[in-house]
Amino acid sequence: MARGGGNRSRLLLVVLLVTALFFITLDLRGVSLTKGSRSVTQTVLSPVQRTVSSIFSPVGRFFSDIKNFGKTKAELNQIEAQNKSLKTQLALNSDIKGELTQLKGVLDLAGRGNFKVVAARVIARGSASSFSQTITLDVGTSSGVRSDMTVISQDGLVGLVKSATSSSSIVLLMSDPSFKVGVRIARSQGIGVLSGEGSTSYSMTLLDPTGTIKVGDTLLTNGSENNKPFIPGVPVGQVVKVDDLVASLTQTATVESYANLNDLGVVSVILSAPTTAPSTPLVPTPNPRVTIYVTPTPTPNPTLSPAATVTPTPTTKAKKK
Amino acid sequence: MSPVRIFSTLGFFFVLFVIQESAISLIHFPVSGFSLYLAIAISLIAFEDHNGALVTGFLAGIVLDLSPTSNAPFGQWALILTFIGFLFAINKDSISDLTSSPITFVIFVAIGVSAALLMYLGFGALLGEQNGSLSHDGIILAGNLLWTVIFTPMFLPALERVREYSLSARER
Repeated sequence: MARGGGNRSRLLLVVLLVTALFFITLDLRGVSLTKGSRSVTQTVLSPVQRTVSSIFSPVGRFFSDIKNFGKTKAELNQIEAQNKSLKTQLALNSDIKGELTQLKGVLDLAGRGNFKVVAARVIARGSASSFSQTITLDVGTSSGVRSDMTVISQDGLVGLVKSATSSSSIVLLMSDPSFKVGVRIARSQGIGVLSGEGSTSYSMTLLDPTGTIKVGDTLLTNGSENNKPFIPGVPVGQVVKVDDLVASLTQTATVESYANLNDLGVVSVILSAPTTAPSTPLVPTPNPRVTIYVTPTPTPNPTLSPAATVTPTPTTKAKKK
Repeated sequence: MSPVRIFSTLGFFFVLFVIQESAISLIHFPVSGFSLYLAIAISLIAFEDHNGALVTGFLAGIVLDLSPTSNAPFGQWALILTFIGFLFAINKDSISDLTSSPITFVIFVAIGVSAALLMYLGFGALLGEQNGSLSHDGIILAGNLLWTVIFTPMFLPALERVREYSLSARER
């Protein structure tokens, strides 16, 4: 009897393991049944999450409030708001300076940041049962949100829309280890790739082996083809440490993001970017060269032809004399 | 395990999953997050007999696989929690009963949660998933272990009563 029971248990174990492996194989081969089940779950979950979020959000900050106990909350809020405003200003200023140096006014600066966005509230954060870093927003396809759209906060890049249902969407945070975004350095316009590391710091690899990264460099999104998934010019973060790797072909750095991903309440999904914004890194165009032709006159008179008089004279020197 | 219990367990796990995804995950725990779902699932696995542990693990895994935020393929949690069920079943005598040795029971549950997360990472690595640096994953594992040890004794008596209530006279 015990032997029979043991055999049944073993058979049950094998059947369950094989079933699980079967599901994994189906998912990895892209069968829509498994993906559809997650989409249905999201549709079911989002109304509950929305309700719970409105009731539960004060409890969610319980531990962080304990940590800041003793400090004046109003004072903290004021300093935080000022700090965020200054950081955004600094990022935009550095970007404008870099572009002006290299492109000499080709870029339409007025168009920068003029994105069409939809505001969204964060109603849930990624589960502690998995290692992926996500948030759930209360806007979905009914508000125009589609997958692969850029998500920003008031400080800069947050992530990109991973999937969307009619009333909710899941955003893959930039801190997720699988997250990668093309960035450019505002100062030098050098291009690199920023990767999430699952924590508050990020690693950036410069693509140009001769380029340089400096501590304090401002990083902005490089942008993608047709602005999907990334809109160009969104502030990403600041270089806090440059890795000194002699053996490495490319230069790497540690970056700190502008957006605080642990304290996201309201974010914006960029639906479209202005057409004046550059979609690819701007290549400086050469300055127009003025060519002066001097036609020698056939007359023996040694006076210069009028065309030759356009030769610039050092006016400042003449004045000094 | 009777079909009625399979469906009631599945329903229970789904309610628990909704609570985890919509409420527990909103709390910013110091160090790292706490998975109430995994802690309760492992506790229920520990309560069950051999076959019950396997089926409970599989059902808990299937519901967890429904998570829309997960990057892992559907079925990964089912595989891992079935295996955890198997490990608990073969070590049933060492785990002991909750009433006779509650501390040992809580420690086994906490180790079970950490083992499940470790297996998730290991299996994910085999499938090419990117789950972050070793230090970061270590912090998540340590945080989960800590919070499981702290919170499990709080819900275990209630969980045992719910389980007793759900069992039929024959199963008791």
